[in-house]
Amino acid sequence: MKQITVISGKGGTGKTTVTSNFVKMAEDHIAVDCDVDAANLHILLDPKKISEEDFVGGPIAVLTGECINCGRCEEECRFEAISNSRSEIIIDPIRCEGCGVCIYVCPEDVLELKSEKQGTNFVSRTEFCTLVHARLIPGAENSGLLITRIRNKAEDIANEKDIKLIIIDGAPGIGCPVISSLNGVDATLIVTEPTLSAISDFKKVYEVAKIFDIKVFVCINKYDLNQINTREIEDFCQNNDIELIGKIPYDDEVSIFLSQKKFVIDSRESKAGEAIRQMWENIKGYLYSE
Amino acid sequence: MIISVASGKGGTGKTTVACNMALSVGYCQFMDYDVEAPNSSFFLKPDIKHIHKVTIKQPYFLRGTGADFSECASFCNYNAVAVVGDDVIFFPELCHGCGGCLLVGPEGAVRENDVVVGEVRNGVASPSIDYYMGDLKPGSMRTISIQGDMDKSLNRDELVIIDCPPGTSCSMVFSVKDCDYCILVTEPTPYGLNDLKLSIEVLESMDKPFGVIINRDGIGDDEVEKFCKNSGIKILAMIPNKREIAEYYSRGDSLIEYDSSWKSRFEEIVKEIEKDIRK
Amino acid sequence: MIVAISSTGTSLESKVDPRFGRCPFFIIYNTDDDSFEHVENQARQAMGGAGIQTGQMIAGRGVKAVITGNVGPNAFRVLAAAGVKVYSGVSDQVSDAVQKLKAGELQGTSAPDVSSHFGTGGGGGNN
Repeated sequence: MKQITVISGKGGTGKTTVTSNFVKMAEDHIAVDCDVDAANLHILLDPKKISEEDFVGGPIAVLTGECINCGRCEEECRFEAISNSRSEIIIDPIRCEGCGVCIYVCPEDVLELKSEKQGTNFVSRTEFCTLVHARLIPGAENSGLLITRIRNKAEDIANEKDIKLIIIDGAPGIGCPVISSLNGVDATLIVTEPTLSAISDFKKVYEVAKIFDIKVFVCINKYDLNQINTREIEDFCQNNDIELIGKIPYDDEVSIFLSQKKFVIDSRESKAGEAIRQMWENIKGYLYSE
Repeated sequence: MIISVASGKGGTGKTTVACNMALSVGYCQFMDYDVEAPNSSFFLKPDIKHIHKVTIKQPYFLRGTGADFSECASFCNYNAVAVVGDDVIFFPELCHGCGGCLLVGPEGAVRENDVVVGEVRNGVASPSIDYYMGDLKPGSMRTISIQGDMDKSLNRDELVIIDCPPGTSCSMVFSVKDCDYCILVTEPTPYGLNDLKLSIEVLESMDKPFGVIINRDGIGDDEVEKFCKNSGIKILAMIPNKREIAEYYSRGDSLIEYDSSWKSRFEEIVKEIEKDIRK
Repeated sequence: MIVAISSTGTSLESKVDPRFGRCPFFIIYNTDDDSFEHVENQARQAMGGAGIQTGQMIAGRGVKAVITGNVGPNAFRVLAAAGVKVYSGVSDQVSDAVQKLKAGELQGTSAPDVSSHFGTGGGGGNN
């Protein structure tokens, strides 16, 4: 069983487009949407829910008794989550990281770590495969933890049913959601585009992928938008032993297809569709090998 | 006045809007809070004057002293410390730098050192932009530490434009928490609409006034426009979808260079926002 | 001898789970009297360092040997330090795996099976 995570560094380069079209072409597989705070895979895959579970996130410090305003907690908090402790103490849930230091130092024992529901995770059926996905309550924290949850779930199902491939739609950026999406996978596909912004972010996310010592594939979306920049990406891949599995031409039709909830690989005319079909041919041998 | 430019979906045009707005008004503070993937420097082309490293304090353990570190291991909520037999194992990537080890561990046997998690660069961008950019070190998860550091430089007496990271969770919330107004940039597709609604939920829970800019108008449908009109949400601007605009973007050239009429349009948007906040 | 087997379920008919750090259950089996119990693996939900926590949990139960599919470098380090013997690369039903162990048919593992998991940091910060 292999796992591949599709990431990009920069948002909007085409992760979900590529992932959803791969999901349509693959067999004996499960899809996981790890872009939990802006999940989009379900829009195209039209899932029917099988089960759901609450996601209770990491705890946050709360006041549960009478504060004597000694100020110790504010002194010790490294995240500036506590303020005003000499008059009316304020604990900022946005800054609190649930470390437990304030609980430890409080002489009156009136601070506690409390967990709350931060979202829901789902197992659903789609036309092509099982989809494991989640909804994070907007504004909630711990997306990395939620991603760990849904990945565990996907692996459980894969083990149970002897599934050969898990395709993971990753989050933009390089931080903890991306790290949780890459932990323990066999390979990653970085979808990038020939813009200065995307190239910069591609190189950063590639650094993260290297930490995991996993196989790196790249594809360049909208490659004909800027041939000089495309060349730069190609050179970088060559110099770093990264396999370039495809180049998708700029095509406004792709967005129109997506908006109509269609798969661009189903279009005979679309060159972008052809490129994605070819990319799948280039990568599927690796994905289904032992 | 602090204006945050955010979006649920990535790649909708936050940086385009934030940078072009800054270039249009000319005199402001610009903060790139998308510290995992900062891109504003390509468009604002700042002359960087200062770079400072952002650090967190992480523990190190004096072994061979017979000290028992099991309290540190059981205290840590992030699995960054493990004690097996006589061996203490520390995992720096998992450590948040909370200082707990120093507090609960054996006296004198736990020390701390400063570990770099990224940096903040500051400089000037033409015409008169006080520019700040955060940059997270790949492999670190301390996005919040970098953003928190940048918070200290926020100058509320000026116009501040914050380029936010995509999404709706903690790093985005951190970037909008201090704003007086948030511009939500979206694309006119089901994905743009889906993620716009999530962003709106966040802003409404924080009581932040907001407006929408629709970018790449023409690539999808008119559902976003209809949604905004039906919900009484102001559409501040609609930027058309043009391959040429994408080509300019790919080179780091601004929207204003493509079409200079956007300068006055962005100036108008800022004035409109100022008026809306006063109401 | 107490043996821990990573398991997809709670019975001896369950399959051996290929993951040590993130399996849902362990079957804790006593080869001396063939008694067994299952235990839920709480550590699996940790964002990083699941293998570390799981390793500590297993070591703390007086387990002398682990049967599993793959062991990552974090978990391997913890188990090695605790003197727990590792039999990886196993993919049978739990009951079959135990029989093989008793019959001396399983080969011990001397190094982690899978590459870097997050948090392997080289143990930096130890002075």
